Amino acid sequence: MRRLLLCLGLGALSAAVLAAVPAPSASLPWADDLSPISAADWNVERAAHLLERAGFGGTPEDVQRLAAMTPRQAVDALVEYSRVDNSALPAFEESGIWDRGMDPFPPSRADAVRQARERGEALGVKALPEGSQRRLQPVVDKFFYGLRANSIETQRLGVWWANRMLTTKRPLEEKLTLFWHGHFATGDAKVRDYRMMLRQNEMLRRNAEGRLRDLLVGILEDPAMLVYLDNGENVKAHPNENFGRELLELFTMGVGHYTERDVREGARSFTGWTNDVLDFKFDRDQHDFGTKTFLGRTGPLDGTDIVDTILAQDATGEHVAAKIYRFFVRDEISPAVRSELGRSFRNSGYEMKPLLTRIFLSKDFYSAPSTATQIKSPVVLVISTYKKMGLTALPTIPDFGRLTGALGQTLFDPPNVAGWAGGRSWITPATLMQRGNLFRDVLFADARTFRAPDRLMPATYARVGENIAKGMNITEATKEGTGDAESNQQVDREEDYNTRYASYRGYLMAFERTKAIPRHVADLNLTAMVAVAHADTADAVVDHFAKRFLSVPLAAKDRAAFIDFFRGKSVASESDLRELLYLVLSTPGYQLS
Amino acid sequence: MTCHCSRREFLVRGLYGVGVGSGLPLLLGRTTAALTAQALQGTSMEKHPERILVVLELSGGNDGLNTVVPHADPAYYRARPRIGIPAKEVLKVTDTFGFHPSMVGFERLYKDGRMAVVHGCGYDHPSLSHFSSMSYWHTGVPNAGEPLGWLGRVADDHLDPKTRNLIVDIGTAQSLAVRSERHSPLVFDDPARFRRDGTDAEKQVLAQFGSDAAASSNATLDFLTSTARNAASSSDFVRQASAAYRTPVDYGIGNAFGGGLQRVAALIAAGMKTRLYYVSYQGNAFDTHVQQGDVHARLLMYTADAVRAFLDDVARLGRAGDVAVMMFTEFGRRVEENGSLGTDHGTAGPMFLFGARDRIKAGFYGRPASLTDLDDGNLKMTTDFRSVYATAIKEWLGYDDTDVILKGRFGTLGAFA
Repeated sequence: MRRLLLCLGLGALSAAVLAAVPAPSASLPWADDLSPISAADWNVERAAHLLERAGFGGTPEDVQRLAAMTPRQAVDALVEYSRVDNSALPAFEESGIWDRGMDPFPPSRADAVRQARERGEALGVKALPEGSQRRLQPVVDKFFYGLRANSIETQRLGVWWANRMLTTKRPLEEKLTLFWHGHFATGDAKVRDYRMMLRQNEMLRRNAEGRLRDLLVGILEDPAMLVYLDNGENVKAHPNENFGRELLELFTMGVGHYTERDVREGARSFTGWTNDVLDFKFDRDQHDFGTKTFLGRTGPLDGTDIVDTILAQDATGEHVAAKIYRFFVRDEISPAVRSELGRSFRNSGYEMKPLLTRIFLSKDFYSAPSTATQIKSPVVLVISTYKKMGLTALPTIPDFGRLTGALGQTLFDPPNVAGWAGGRSWITPATLMQRGNLFRDVLFADARTFRAPDRLMPATYARVGENIAKGMNITEATKEGTGDAESNQQVDREEDYNTRYASYRGYLMAFERTKAIPRHVADLNLTAMVAVAHADTADAVVDHFAKRFLSVPLAAKDRAAFIDFFRGKSVASESDLRELLYLVLSTPGYQLS
Repeated sequence: MTCHCSRREFLVRGLYGVGVGSGLPLLLGRTTAALTAQALQGTSMEKHPERILVVLELSGGNDGLNTVVPHADPAYYRARPRIGIPAKEVLKVTDTFGFHPSMVGFERLYKDGRMAVVHGCGYDHPSLSHFSSMSYWHTGVPNAGEPLGWLGRVADDHLDPKTRNLIVDIGTAQSLAVRSERHSPLVFDDPARFRRDGTDAEKQVLAQFGSDAAASSNATLDFLTSTARNAASSSDFVRQASAAYRTPVDYGIGNAFGGGLQRVAALIAAGMKTRLYYVSYQGNAFDTHVQQGDVHARLLMYTADAVRAFLDDVARLGRAGDVAVMMFTEFGRRVEENGSLGTDHGTAGPMFLFGARDRIKAGFYGRPASLTDLDDGNLKMTTDFRSVYATAIKEWLGYDDTDVILKGRFGTLGAFA
């Protein structure tokens, strides 16, 4: 009773506090309204918002082009991108690190060693004759070469994709591909094959604005995903549930709409769906042709039946539409919007274009809760800044992958199968500082002190090389630590090879056989930028930077501090302007899109 | 009436005649926070203000049966003919249980009397989803939409929010376990990069971001400015403490995890006031569906090396008696091995507690889960994991209101002296 009274009292108190702010309907007139905005309501700010969310933002000129159209034309210009010629974008140029002996790549170093013991060779390399010292060393060297070279090639792939994001004429295509990469999250750290990652990326891009069914079938037959979720191991006698579970939980329906039995029956239906290195393979011998019951449907179901059964569920439309909404609009989705978008998405046969067009045209998309409330992902933060700077080539000093990785996002390596959590989870006290620092690295890039991560050997292994050069033998050269930790003792315990030496050798070989990432700093001219904008005073420069880069108004106190900072500096000095821009890009508000 | 309320609630109720429940709108929680902070001041009810709890997360679902091996149980070897750890290799610590052979560090801790193992930890209606199950362990409230972490609630109820950095989470993103209504956990990964770059003039401008704390109409912007304030006030200390830290203790080569624990040791050495630390593996490391033998052995070795080193390190610092460690995972794995020399998602698993010899009562707790009386191939849990949380909260930290924090009544194990 006491509890109840307290609750009532609190309820009244909360109501009183809430009453102090204007009623939601008065302050947020467009929120949750899915009807299209009119041409009369179209302006530069809204065009800028559209370009930020449906792409990666742009220069004032880019924004102006969209602002000059009607809202419908502007949205079509982004969504109907298949009409836009994009053939100037270069294909990924492979280094050619893989040789035939490396397929299929052993799942672990220990497995490579087992193969070598049994067959006298592995990874296309022969073991040394019996009785030789460290007779398996060449095989283990090759194994580490494969890991390191693949990791470098995946870094190159990330740079290639980032360049596409920056230079594409179809920004929504890349933004959607990024969305699907987070949705169908697959990481090279486990797949260990950049070729598979590239193919998956191309498949996602090909289907990005098409039908959900094509994406689902594509991903379920995708070698990278099959490896990532262990479906190669999903066999009749021992179904492996990883793939079936994530399909339901993350890719389509969300938890709460299926049972553990559905997970197991789904897994049975996907038995035998595997890959022959880079190609999908249906292995009849490992497929369970028996009867399954999945979400109420019974029969000798296979993987495609499972997809179609899932697509017939209301939960699927809602789950996927809500995720798209959260990616493009805002973190919170109202139940009404969720069910309406889900329903229309499903009724359209899960066509992406009508869904996206509706979202981008809706009043809700331009309402206060949807604008300047989204925290940019690290990739979007960096690419959109380069766009706003007007860059036409991706700076590689500092390294793109290192910049975004330090903030928690590495392309082709999401943290787990759930992808990037996004929203506020991007921000910690430390990453917030880093989000500013990285632009100092861009604005004051120093090619002389820059160390390319694709040519950098970790200190432990570099020491091995130094020690060998000093004349030490392999055992001495690879010693680390005081010897208390079991892991440090194991490095050289194995008689047939030394793992730390192999790692060192693997790095050297990988550096030889991969193309280096071409390195250059940002081609940036702020002096010209502010001259074009006729910004010739401290106030005008601060205001120009704020308008060009920020989605929220600059706080009065910060504006005054920036103007004060610029006093005595010159609009004709590139480095003075860069110092100022660094400050603007470091404001907490710059994280918002 | 019996008051099931927290001390904060009690104080506020006593002083202002208003109860503050945890399901409260954030808005109201904030308005009372200032009052509560005043109430807390000068009323030191802390039994053990010097004590620190370090929570370690083995993400991905650690295979408990191959970690604490039931080497005398034939059912174990029947279920795992290919990946079971042969009895002769197990580091036996009792007639029935022993550690995975790579966990030399744990064997030593156990034999030194610095370690307790709790059998069969889990919860009713277990979820086999990493994400759901982990969120249940993070919040301590399974099968519910609790928004705050259990460690966050410990801090909300007992630690003064005016003291910064009472919670530290080592990682690139904040764990739900430390999400708090009144505290801003300090989250960082690489302390060397926890700083603002720039010239002195630039830094002077950067340092004042967020200094005018006026709330705007944009909640996300307010969140960013308050985070900026927290960063500005904490980064120098953390960075300098970490940079200055030197230790002769060998943490092994599991860099990320051992490195995280070493950062904790550095902050303890520097006299940081933090009471709750959180360190986790990244990226579902323990999700061993396939060919688990080698990778699992390596992970366990890194883990045992790092925990053993950390405890030795805090002992070296003279703080052994003030530090306890709890280690968990979101679920154990299926009893029967799968077709790919790995294991699928399961249910219950062991939890671990560590501390100084005169603080922890070493040994095994709880009833081992049966390997034959299964629930659809999975272990039936024997200890609700919140009993272990309650043990840490009550027996170690000295807070008696575990039923408020954990939103239910859970007995404690008697694992701390």
